[in-house]
Amino acid sequence: MNEALTDPVLLSFITGLLISTYIMLIGKGKNTTKLLISSLAFAGVGIISSTYTYIIHNKMVVQGTTAFCSSEGIVQCGSVIGDPTWNNLFGIPWGVFGIISFAALIFLSLSLYLDRHAKWAENFLNYSWWAALGGLPFVALLVVIELTQVEDAPHICPFCTVAHLSLIGYVLAIYYLKENKNSGNWSEQR
Amino acid sequence: MARRRKTLAPKGRDDDVRWIAGFALGSILTVIMILVVIIAPPATIGPSEGELAPDFSADSYSGANWINFKLSDTFDYEWNEGEQGEWILIQFIDTDCPYCWSEGETMSDLHAQWSNDVEFITIAVELSINGHDSNQQEIEAFRDKTNYGTNDNDGSGCNSGRDNCANRPGAAHNWNYVEATSAMMKDWEVTGTPFLAILQPDGYVAWNQYENTGESIEDAMQRIVGGT
Repeated sequence: MNEALTDPVLLSFITGLLISTYIMLIGKGKNTTKLLISSLAFAGVGIISSTYTYIIHNKMVVQGTTAFCSSEGIVQCGSVIGDPTWNNLFGIPWGVFGIISFAALIFLSLSLYLDRHAKWAENFLNYSWWAALGGLPFVALLVVIELTQVEDAPHICPFCTVAHLSLIGYVLAIYYLKENKNSGNWSEQR
Repeated sequence: MARRRKTLAPKGRDDDVRWIAGFALGSILTVIMILVVIIAPPATIGPSEGELAPDFSADSYSGANWINFKLSDTFDYEWNEGEQGEWILIQFIDTDCPYCWSEGETMSDLHAQWSNDVEFITIAVELSINGHDSNQQEIEAFRDKTNYGTNDNDGSGCNSGRDNCANRPGAAHNWNYVEATSAMMKDWEVTGTPFLAILQPDGYVAWNQYENTGESIEDAMQRIVGGT
């Protein structure tokens, strides 16, 4: 098995994604609180994995290599995060974009979790939905880049993929939250 | 008659929890920033002296064919000041720029003197000037001093189309010629050609032509690299 896939840090991220997914599935259609927790969990995994990719990026730039991620094989991040042409947008590393984006999503979800009946709650739910949807084209772009554009493509950067899956999970959680809102299940007791 | 009680919609909290969410998020971001600074502080990247040179990955011609070239692959990250190591001379040119045309000889002389201690890299850009159109064949001809264009000032060839590339001053160059991407001039803040910079073996900029207008490249090489 590719050594990158047995990385303990990666396995803990995958565990985080699985737990978030489980909470989302048991909350789907009935429990708004669990769905809000699930959205927070997805965004939490997203911000931590983005931070991790940013740390790898800085290590690659300054040291040329890092023990934090493999640079061999198809599943690796050295050739993706270490590619000077594609590892940034307008000079800003993708990890920083991830941190900022997931921070915004955490703010929205946490506000909803703390007071889902506030006057602004419906707006915040819509902001979460549109903000998360707006991130999906960037996820698609980054997947295309790692599969076709980076040196010796295709490659799959596992920690980047965790961040991508976190966003997709977040979109699903918010979708189910909107369903709850529309079907009158918004106010269930915690 | 029994009075019906109207069902009240759930009401939000009296305090604005968005402040609490904001403070919580601020704390999370602070922890993230501290972690990043401790584990892997970001480097200052740029063309100024003391900064880590902007990396690039682009097509490069080494005399045989065009292959991908990544600047950071030439860096020796283990290098420490005072140790032996291979320095890097970066030259930005436009094959149609008259100053680059004449600097071809200077580069040949520098290479003859310092090729054992310095890796030479020439980056060929295409300035947005009429008559400065370039392509890989022209870059190859400029580097190798081979037949390309005429000496009739008809727009074909090197030196603004005034000369056949085979007549470039100096010897044929035997180091990598990189075809610049549009981002490279911006990253390196190059405003015109030729432009020269000397990098330490670990990739940090040791000398930038714009910051040393009174010092020639020969003097800079002698002062910084020395040894010959």
